[in-house]
Amino acid sequence: MSHLREEELVEYFYTRGDADAPGRRHVENCAECAEAYTALRTDLEEMEFAEPPARDAGYGVRVWDSLAQRLPAYEAPRRHWLRSGFWMGLSYAAACGLLVTSAFIAGTLWEKNQTNTATTTRPAPPAPKEKVVLVVLGDHLDRSERLLVELKHADVDSAEMVSPLRDEAKSLLAANRVCLKSATQGDDPELKTALGDLNRLLDELSSQPEGLNSAAIARLQSEMNSDGLLFEVRVLRSRIPEGQAAGTTGAGGGKI
Amino acid sequence: MVRMGKNDHAVIEAVLAGDKEAYGALVVRHSESLFRVAFRITRNEADADDVVQEALLRGYQKLASFRAESNFGTWIYRIAVRCALDKIGGRKVNDASRVSDETSPELQEVQVADWAAGPDRLLLSGEIGAMQETAMHSLTATERTAFVLRHMEDCTTDEIGTALGIGSNAAKQAVFRAVRKLRIRLAVLRVRT
Repeated sequence: MSHLREEELVEYFYTRGDADAPGRRHVENCAECAEAYTALRTDLEEMEFAEPPARDAGYGVRVWDSLAQRLPAYEAPRRHWLRSGFWMGLSYAAACGLLVTSAFIAGTLWEKNQTNTATTTRPAPPAPKEKVVLVVLGDHLDRSERLLVELKHADVDSAEMVSPLRDEAKSLLAANRVCLKSATQGDDPELKTALGDLNRLLDELSSQPEGLNSAAIARLQSEMNSDGLLFEVRVLRSRIPEGQAAGTTGAGGGKI
Repeated sequence: MVRMGKNDHAVIEAVLAGDKEAYGALVVRHSESLFRVAFRITRNEADADDVVQEALLRGYQKLASFRAESNFGTWIYRIAVRCALDKIGGRKVNDASRVSDETSPELQEVQVADWAAGPDRLLLSGEIGAMQETAMHSLTATERTAFVLRHMEDCTTDEIGTALGIGSNAAKQAVFRAVRKLRIRLAVLRVRT
């Protein structure tokens, strides 16, 4: 059995805290090496060297004071001429000009290409117009629904409450006529019927020169309920995607 | 081992951009720890102060070569070790200690002639410490530095090798030689006690 050399014992002394310290198993199982290690450990642990003198809190500052005068300042890295303000601005301007020109040429070519393709393959779809119609119709139906709800729950004895209904009906009537005309030209019988019913109601609401009295309101409420007009408007409104009516707060007729 | 502050890199960037005064923050932050290791290697307060200044000066001059991914504390620590090594390497071994009537570690003077004084007196007068100092001065600069870093600074042999610019195995051998020399030098105390 070969014993650990002194060099290995020294290494073991300084790595003894490690779980996989080399020589650990041998020292633990070899009495001779364990004795040699104990002697080494005793010698090293008994060595007491003078601790460094304490330095006060101002030590670092004093070191800096004596050092600062000997240090030349580093030169800040010089900026390349391309990075100077004028040239950098000019570069940006040129880049922007190039970008705009490229976009214009690309747009022109794309538009020309699209036109050629459309004329040779198929007629241009009326998508933009349809979108506008849907937006306006959605807004119109929203407003109409609100009016019908207010009418349904209107207090017939309160002139202050029913007066705004007539004004709103006037405003909606013009838009409704346009929508009805559009629906008549199209092939949507449900829309045509509902807008026709709505048109009659709005016409009656807005054409009361002396204002809405309790008898008129009661009659309109009855007609609205018998026709199921509010339900029809809600069904129609649900057919229009939610996003199409977003932001449409102005008078309905103005957008067609 | 010196640990790095959070904003050492930001300070270094400022210094390299021309703000010399920013380096003062690094000096204040690391001076004390550099002094400790410098003193342990040089065994002399004035020399340790010189080493601190020299290390920080060299560090400033080499700051442009400092890599951003490194730890400034470790980097300047190694420079200080090299400065301390140069300091003690420049001394002649015989100059390290002078025999005098009284022991004075400050003046590197030690009373070693009277071996017949006996262990009791040695203990009482604190001359065991002086003997150990003398034993330390008998080591070569590399051995002493390697021993200090291993025994007092808890550095690994890899770290010692890096600091001294030698291989890990050479660092291990230097530590071993230092331990063996110290044990031989100090054996007399063990026998007499």
